[in-house]
Amino acid sequence: MEQVNNAHSRATMRRSLEDRMISVVIFIVMTLVFVAIIYPFYYCLIISLNQGRDASLGGIYFFPRKFTLDNYKEVFRDSQLIASYGMTILRTVVGTVSAVLFTGLVAYAMSHRDLAYRKIYMTLMIVAMYFSGGLIPYYMVLRSLGLLNTFGVYVIPSLFGIWNCILMINFFRTIPESLKESAKLDGANEMTIFFRVIAPLSMPIFATIALYVGVGHWNDWYSTSFFAQQNRGLRTLAYMLKELITRANLTSIAGQFAMDMSSAQRQGSAASATYTAESLRMATMIVVVVPIICVYPFLQRFFVKGVMVGSVKE
Amino acid sequence: MTRTTWQKFCRQWMLQFFALAGIVFLLIFCYMPMVGVILAFNNYKPKTGFLGFFTSPWVGFRWFKELFSDPSFGRIFANTLKLSLLKLLFSFPMPILFSLVLNEMRILKAKKLMQTISYLPHFVSWVVVQGILVSLLSSQSGVLNQILLDLGFIQEKLPFLSLAKYFLPVAVVSDIWKEMGWWSIIFLAAIAGIDMAQYEAAIVDGASRMQRIWHIILPSIKPTIVVVLILSLGGLLGGGLGGSNFEQAYLLGNDINNSASEILQTYTLKVGLSAGRFSYATAVGLMQSVISVFLVIASNAAARKISGEGLF
Repeated sequence: MEQVNNAHSRATMRRSLEDRMISVVIFIVMTLVFVAIIYPFYYCLIISLNQGRDASLGGIYFFPRKFTLDNYKEVFRDSQLIASYGMTILRTVVGTVSAVLFTGLVAYAMSHRDLAYRKIYMTLMIVAMYFSGGLIPYYMVLRSLGLLNTFGVYVIPSLFGIWNCILMINFFRTIPESLKESAKLDGANEMTIFFRVIAPLSMPIFATIALYVGVGHWNDWYSTSFFAQQNRGLRTLAYMLKELITRANLTSIAGQFAMDMSSAQRQGSAASATYTAESLRMATMIVVVVPIICVYPFLQRFFVKGVMVGSVKE
Repeated sequence: MTRTTWQKFCRQWMLQFFALAGIVFLLIFCYMPMVGVILAFNNYKPKTGFLGFFTSPWVGFRWFKELFSDPSFGRIFANTLKLSLLKLLFSFPMPILFSLVLNEMRILKAKKLMQTISYLPHFVSWVVVQGILVSLLSSQSGVLNQILLDLGFIQEKLPFLSLAKYFLPVAVVSDIWKEMGWWSIIFLAAIAGIDMAQYEAAIVDGASRMQRIWHIILPSIKPTIVVVLILSLGGLLGGGLGGSNFEQAYLLGNDINNSASEILQTYTLKVGLSAGRFSYATAVGLMQSVISVFLVIASNAAARKISGEGLF
């Protein structure tokens, strides 16, 4: 009896020691992860809030040394950048609304198990999900359609997403049939049912898809670079940022070989200004990232569910 | 039943209209490019438009022969494989480990905070990641170089972003940084789905926390791990789950680290859109697609054999 008790208490002791050690390890790991994710953003933030010249002296790790909003003022004085901000918002709003609507209607039709030829449609979708023609044929198709260098190249090719469609189909199927039936008895057609009955109940999945598509639009530099570069009016924020950073990266690489020249150049180009190319870049990055940071936490419970639904095999 | 499918189709005309809108979209933006892979076998001139897909002179495997005899092809192909395999090896286990650690967190508020924070990099553009990398790693003003220098770990600043030997580590670490939190959602959901009774039984039997992770959690989420692994093997050449190979190689690549950073996708872009050799570039892209399809099928078969669990 005593032995059993002893063994038991030894087990609890071992467990609690192990428990505590694991807790310490968890704490350390999570602190590291926290710092690794947050600090890069934080660093950009403090540099963007610091006087550019002063920041280029180095040594700023935790707080701005010479606080200023000049970098942001300068960023927002750039008319090309403001134009690209407008273009980004426009394409994000138009692209997201139209994509959610279009994908939603297609998914609504496909969610009917008795839809004629449904098997064929599903097969076409699944095949298209696994195979693609590659960049060049895709480019040629855009070109033949006359989409290159038009606003349409931002919106139309991203109207429909197969993965998003499958997520929506799965969601629509959880809505009770009886709701649709009673609407039908009241004489509603499918369009009315979709907008009046289905859509109000589907806000969680719409929010999820809107987040995916919207973030995609917001972050996209690719279609500007390769499909719309010749139209200056179509430049987006992400594209502008890419240009800024690529230039900075090249300067920094060139700087390795000609450090003196590059710093002389930098001082020469903006003799009276307190900002530098770097501080402006940081401010631009913060301008690009802040809207995302403000939106995604509120949609968290939706997209977490969305990923989980998607991970279940159809 | 006397009603034919066609009659059913007519009765559902409005739904059919919606569905067909999607199908027409797929035909234009997915299937037309697939038809376009015949560019790889003919000598296409962009002036001829879409019809030129079919009317251009046939050249058979000429572009493939040219590709395989290109002296830089071996290097580009090796770069693609190296980048993809390294990411699979290091990026794939991280979300699993992270979700295990998250699951062991006892303070719910801290757990929730860590989850929210870990999703952030996923929503940020690779362009921003590139900007962050420049600000952290550049040899001029990079803060990491400053810190390492101040602490005396290095004697002079390291050119992380320009030397070829640093490209792969930077690419792999930034990929982990960006996607670890996001993919942990799936594994965390799988862990949450485990029957509580199993834990209780294990605790009664005196299983320690490590034993519970090893004998209950990991076996329970094995099917999820297999599914995600198959998915990422299928997209291996694209850069696994995040599909980040192209953006990383394009944004982090430059003339100096080119020997490590040039991969099939950036090569396709270079010879295709920049140099205007559309047919040749299509051949490069097609070769990559063929390898990818082979990888999907092979990994699915392997997974089915090992665990009796396949995707299709």
